[in-house]
Amino acid sequence: MVRGTALLNPAAIGRRFTSRLHDERVAAWLGIALGVSFTTAFVTGLISHFMQHPPDWMVWPSRPVGLYSVTQGLHVIGGLATIPLLLAKLWTVYPKLFAWPPFRSAGHAAERLAVLVLVGTSLFQLATGLFNIAYWYPFPFNFPVAHYWTSYLLVGALVVHVANQWATARRTVMTRPEDGVWRRGFLLTVAATSGVVALTTVGEAFRPLAALDLLAPRRPGTGPQGLPVNKTAQAAGVTAAGPAWRLRVTGRVGRELSLSLADLRALPQHTVRLPISCVEGWTAWGTWDGVRLRDVLRAAGVSGGARVRVESLERGGAYRSSWVDAPHWHDELTLLALGLNGEPLAPDHGAPCRLIAPNRPGVLQTKWLTEVVVA
Amino acid sequence: MRFLAYGAGVALMAIGARGLFLHVPDLLGWAKWVVGAVVLHDAVLAPAVLLAGAVTARRHVLQGALAVGGVITLVALPMVLRLGRHPDNPSILPLDYGRNLLIVLAAVATTAAFVRWRLR
Repeated sequence: MVRGTALLNPAAIGRRFTSRLHDERVAAWLGIALGVSFTTAFVTGLISHFMQHPPDWMVWPSRPVGLYSVTQGLHVIGGLATIPLLLAKLWTVYPKLFAWPPFRSAGHAAERLAVLVLVGTSLFQLATGLFNIAYWYPFPFNFPVAHYWTSYLLVGALVVHVANQWATARRTVMTRPEDGVWRRGFLLTVAATSGVVALTTVGEAFRPLAALDLLAPRRPGTGPQGLPVNKTAQAAGVTAAGPAWRLRVTGRVGRELSLSLADLRALPQHTVRLPISCVEGWTAWGTWDGVRLRDVLRAAGVSGGARVRVESLERGGAYRSSWVDAPHWHDELTLLALGLNGEPLAPDHGAPCRLIAPNRPGVLQTKWLTEVVVA
Repeated sequence: MRFLAYGAGVALMAIGARGLFLHVPDLLGWAKWVVGAVVLHDAVLAPAVLLAGAVTARRHVLQGALAVGGVITLVALPMVLRLGRHPDNPSILPLDYGRNLLIVLAAVATTAAFVRWRLR
């Protein structure tokens, strides 16, 4: 009977945690690491969001070529490495869940509410992010939309939590413990787990470590013509374009153009090495052949500052068209690509013609082009 | 300073809540996932870890190896189960993740055995 009461009484449960690693010092160090991780994820996430949905006043540079590859690789691989940190932190502070009385004051209740929001949104962001890169969508909401707005909730709760814990964490990490608890071993083990997760997945973003890519959902080099694909021609509902295919250049142009594949091949051809850097964190480089977008736009008599929209044969989907701002279409590396790695584009890579530009999310490297509209 | 931080934090949370309210049609579905994540962690995962800790009491290297292996397995599980496979797109999830996870777990076990031997 006594035992039964003890199990049901939260105060008694709180006393039953015997490991001395459930302490402030471990929580503080893990908290600092998590603060850095989530801040990095928030900043890199905002970069990705505003590259895809720039407000009118925002123009992104086309260089450095691999900037988005780095920021998004950091977002995804860093996010994966955060999972062990978060689970270790929650284990460390788990006894606090049974604090008794649950609310000492209105202030304490507000503090615990902020922690609840922080824990819920942290688990949510890491779980949905992981499912997203594994291409598994069991949830009833649009992933990018929910992941984006939840991040503000998370960071807001994080700021409140840091304000509440700052003094305690500062005091505890600034003093040297003399109790002989082996925290260093515990923290090193947690760090090593994050390291293993990062090392076995970073190969999908960083080619030199591709040999260690054991658990990442992608492998650069694996796919048609040696390059991974996000959406196949079949999934996009695009069938092979016949000889009637034309690339039309319309809108605010000096003269409209309607170019056949032979017309495009008759223009000066260029070869560039550029990556596809996906929002899901993987990066794969390819050697692309084709025509510079700026050559085609100049032939159509387009003014220098114009914004350009490229449109796909794909009927629907969020990414059937994309904007190309002046810095990108002026860049000599930006091609209307006709070939990849020495062959004509495969259907899954956007045959007969796709956009390829530096420093740009993969979803904006529009495939199966049919029209270039000058705004 | 602290109240400035409270203000900034609450403002960010308000931006997030407003965005979710305006742009996520199935808000209840979203809330179920957030609350579900907390319940799954606090009522299932954490007690399971505590139970494993109690069963392996005082064998710290074994506890560490189980924790490390368990977390890596959790992270790899969506890939191992190939839940997001696309029959039309073999470039998604192209590896043998079950075998690869076993390789990583074997490395964890070997490291743990080495640590235990060194600590003797």
